[in-house]
Order: sequence, then C-alpha cells, then structure tokens
Amino acid sequence: MAETAIHHPPGVDPLEPRMLVPPHHDDASLNETLLDHVWAKPGKGWFLLFGIALVGLGMFLVAVTLTLARGIGVWGNNQPNGWAFDIVNFVWWVGIGHAGTLISAILLLFQQKWRTSINRFAEAMTIFAVICAGQFPLLHTGRPWFAFWLLPYPSTLGAWPQFRSPLDWDVFAISTYFTVSLLFWYIGLIPDLAALRDSSKGKLQRILYGLFSLGWRGSGRHWHNYKIGYLLLAGLSTPLVLSVHTIVSFDFATGLIPGWHATIFPPYFVAGAVFSGFAMVITLIVPARKYLKLRDVITDRHLENMNKVILATGLIVSYGYMMEHFIAWYSGNEYEIWTFYVNRARGPYAGVYWLMIACNVITPNIFWFKKCRTSIPIMWVASIVVNIGMWCERFIIIVTSLTQDFLPSSWDLYSPTWVDWCLYIGTLGLFSTLFLLFLKFVPAVAISEVKELQLELKHAAHHAAHGAETGAAGTLTHGAH
Amino acid sequence: MSAETKVLETLVLAEFATPEALVDATRQMREKGYEGMDTYSPYPLHGGSEALGLPPSRVPFIALCAGLTGTATAIAFMAYMNGYDYPLNVGGRPLFSLPAYVPITFELTVLLAAFGIFFGVLGLARLPQPYHPAYEHEAFRSATTHGYWLSVPQFATLQADAIMDQLKSLGATQVTVVTGEKE
Repeated sequence: MAETAIHHPPGVDPLEPRMLVPPHHDDASLNETLLDHVWAKPGKGWFLLFGIALVGLGMFLVAVTLTLARGIGVWGNNQPNGWAFDIVNFVWWVGIGHAGTLISAILLLFQQKWRTSINRFAEAMTIFAVICAGQFPLLHTGRPWFAFWLLPYPSTLGAWPQFRSPLDWDVFAISTYFTVSLLFWYIGLIPDLAALRDSSKGKLQRILYGLFSLGWRGSGRHWHNYKIGYLLLAGLSTPLVLSVHTIVSFDFATGLIPGWHATIFPPYFVAGAVFSGFAMVITLIVPARKYLKLRDVITDRHLENMNKVILATGLIVSYGYMMEHFIAWYSGNEYEIWTFYVNRARGPYAGVYWLMIACNVITPNIFWFKKCRTSIPIMWVASIVVNIGMWCERFIIIVTSLTQDFLPSSWDLYSPTWVDWCLYIGTLGLFSTLFLLFLKFVPAVAISEVKELQLELKHAAHHAAHGAETGAAGTLTHGAH
Repeated sequence: MSAETKVLETLVLAEFATPEALVDATRQMREKGYEGMDTYSPYPLHGGSEALGLPPSRVPFIALCAGLTGTATAIAFMAYMNGYDYPLNVGGRPLFSLPAYVPITFELTVLLAAFGIFFGVLGLARLPQPYHPAYEHEAFRSATTHGYWLSVPQFATLQADAIMDQLKSLGATQVTVVTGEKE
C-alpha cells in the first residue's frame, strides 16, 4: 500500500509528487484558457509591442539594404577582424535557439512533465532565433544571392564545396537544425490547429486553420503513429541540438588562433547555449504568461525549474572559463597566456570581459536562493543580464582573439559601425515581430499535451486519495506515466 | 450499389462522456467482433491503441530506413565529391578523411530520419485529408477539443440500428449515423 511508500511531507523530497496544473481545470475550461487568447482581439499592449517590433524590423531592412547595395564594407569588420559582429550575433542567436529544442526534446525523453506548458513557446523561440541567426552568415558572404554555392549541387563550375571545412559543416548543421525544429514544432501543432479549426466561429478562420491542420481529427489510428513519431523526433533532436553548437564551436576550435584552439569548446559552447536559451525563455515567458493569463498552466514552479537549469548551466559555463584559463597557463604557450591573462582581462576590451564575468559567473549564483528563484522581478532582470553576458562572451571570444593574435605588427582594434548595431537590433525586431505574430495566431501552450497531463493528474489524485492521506489532490510524480 | 464515382460510407458515431468510457466501449465492441472502428479524442487515449487492436506502428522502421539512407548518402557524396571528382589537397591531408566527414554525415542522417518520421506519420494517417464523413455531423467537431467519439462502420449484414443499440448499452451519451464520401 502507498502508506508505506510516502512518509515525508510533500515538497521536501525532490522526487515527491508536485502540483503542475491546478486540478480544477477540465478539458472545456482548459480550452477556454488556452484557446481564448487566439480568438480574442489583440489589446493595446500587443499593438504597442508590435509597433516597436516593426520599427526594429524596419531598422533591419534598412541595414540589410545598405549592406547589399554597398557591400559589407559598411560594417566595422577589418583586417585582422574578418569576423566580428556578424559572427558574434550568429553564435548568440543560435545559442538562444537551443533552449527550445532542449525543453521540447530532452525533457520529453526524460518524461519531465513540467515541460508540456512551455515547450510550444520555447520551440517557437528556437525557430525564430535560428531564422535571425541565419541572416548573419548569409549576409557575411557579401553576395547572399550566391549562397547556394555552399550546397553541393552539380554546378557548371565543376567544383564541389570543401567538406573538410568546418564552415561547410555549419551550413549543414544550421539548415538541418532549422528544418528538424520546424517539423517538430509543426507536427506538435497539428492537433491544436485542428482544435482551433473546430472551435472557430468565422468561415475564413475555419478554412485557414483547416488548411494547416491537414484534416486532423484526433483519430486513434493517427495518434497511434503520431505518439511514436513525436517521441522519435524528440530522440533525434536531442543529439542534434548538441551537435549544432558543437559544430558551431568547431568553427573556432579547429582554428589555430590563440583563445580559440581549445578542446573544451564543444561542451562549453553547448552549455552556454542552453544557459542563454533558458534565460531568453524566462525573458519572454514572464510578460507573456501575464498578458495571456496563463498562470494556471505556466506556474511559478515552471519558472523555478528553469532558473535551476540556468544555475546549473551557468556553473558549467563558469567551469569552462576556468578551464580555458587553466589550460592557457598549463600549456606554457605565450600566445595563449597573452590572450587570456593580458589581452582579455587587461586589454582594450577588458570592460566587456569583466561585464561577461559579472553577468555569467556571478549572476546565476543568485539562483542558489529560493527567494531569487521564485521572485518574478529578480528572475526577469537576471535573465536579461544573462543574455547580455552571453553576448559579451561571444564578442570576447571572437574579437579579442582576432585583434591580437601572433604578430603585433598585424594587430588592429575593432569597433562596430552603426550598420552593425542596426543589423543586431534589427534582428531583435525581426524576432519580436515573428514572436508576437505567433502569440496572436497559434496557441502558445500545447493544448493537447496539457489536457493529457490533466487527465494523468486526475488519475494520480484519484490514486492518492485512495492510497494515502498525505497524497495531495491533483499531484503527479515526476516521470509517472 | 451502382458503380458511381462517389463511394458512400456509413458510419455510426457515438460520443462518450469520459476517455475511460470510450476505451472500455471500444474494447468491448472489438471483442464483439466489430472491425474498422476508430476513436477520436483531443489527446492520445491511454490504452486506446490496444483497445483498437492496432499492430505496432511502422514509423520507427521508416525512420530507421530513412536515417540509414542519409548516412550512406552523406558518406558516398562526400567521398565522391572531395575525394574523387574534385580532390583538394590541403596540407597533404587524406582525401577520404572519415573524421572530417562525421559532422555532415550525422546531420544528413538526422535530416532524412526526421523527414521519414514526419512524412511517415502523415502518410500512415493519410493526411492531408480535407474531407471525412464524420464531419457530416456538426457535434463531431468536439472531437479535437473536449469530446470522445467512436466510429463504427456499418456492416452489410447488420443494420445501423443494431450497432446504435449496442453503443447505447455501452454508455454512449449520443449516437448518430452519418453517410458521406469515402476516401
């Protein structure tokens, strides 16, 4: 009997049953909570944000037009800084995308039920972040209309891409990552699009949602294949997400420039990506759940769990920094020592370096305290700080290593131009535009999954009520099926 | 029935109050020998596949085949393109260099496997499918939001009435007959 199994009060043991979705919801009320924001007319707040996002998008279009018309000479890139803002932003955006896949895929595989409420959100973030990331290398080619040269196609030039180059690995990694994320997101959306189709009032909405839901009708024969397919896609995405940032890190790690040539790069980049990605989820989800009134499904518990992930990955990132410095010293290589102990810490970009340390090494440690983990204002500010810190990290890795490499006569400083800034802020606008459209037209929470979870919660409550007095109503053991 | 272009299908649709009732009813109907039934619910039913007596899904097999195709394709095209058709000698490194081929091989494996899964799921479900007879019944729209439905195809030897009585005795809250085009 369960009396013997449960001794401790709920909430003390991390494996204890936890409240995830309030038990008063049934399928119909969940529909109301989760579908209504799609049917409701957007409020003033949404239009205000959308306006700001469109301004950002406008900046992006101006910067892109100028870059295409005049060439990438309008950027601050120079010799020896062939890579600068473009690659910084690229790596930063790709990293942000990673939390989405991590939440949807890895947490699904580990049967972490708390992911259900946030995965749709995070996956959308992944897709939009990868779209933003893709702009930079594409523009950096200088002639993006020839970007297809990077793909192996039987060209009249008789030449093939160089597959032993990490830059070509990137092309495959990013495009695969984008495609698989899109498929994963879309296949997860199909049941909810069908729910939208079937609860729509207008004919146009019914036709449009009907078109995208492909005729889904919740058939048991369909679910049978769907469930295993969704799980398999998650299984595929898990190594994929790790591989993508690993391959991005190869861009650096296979180079000989001091500060790049490190074997710690792949895991350290992946941890940094998860770190910044989770921070971005917090940044976006805190205002969105208030605006969309989703507190019942995205609970404080979800936010606290995400903060724990930020703390854990922040510590891994800190370890990465320590290891980089240690290896530089241990190798006795004077160029490495110069890079880490002189150039980065005391050189012309020391301000950015120390900002990075403050943001990435010190800030996440506030999440050791439950008060900080559960305080909405603190976590929101901290998440923004972490994102700034991770951007600084990419900047430090790329720019400090390139400005001062082996030969002092070839050293030169880098400073971004206004076009660089416009392009960066512009991708934030692009991202926000896409994200606000997503919030408006698509259920921000995976409805069918929350309903399934709700049913399990009820079963668990039922068992708890029959099993033991200590079992709180509406609870579910992590990993229960 | 005359040889028309439109084939009509008659389904008996029954709604149940809870997912458990639907699964129970499905299992009992199948035990009574009804075939070709289908359940409809807003989320996967626990024990739904077993109640319908479905064989294991073929999606994993499709994914495996697609993934292996990706692996083979990637290695073959890189070896051919960089090793044979357009060899580039970089610092005397080997032309067929398996370690350098690992990232793209992995990515292509995942890509094709994902396509296999996606199109496998849709293909096995015969989606996209703009029309289904069940939608002749307006209340059936609840199947994707909060309703639990069962469809039983009408048999030549058995009138729809008999099936409806069976379903009612199993606890269906509403039962109806729809006729529509077949796939």
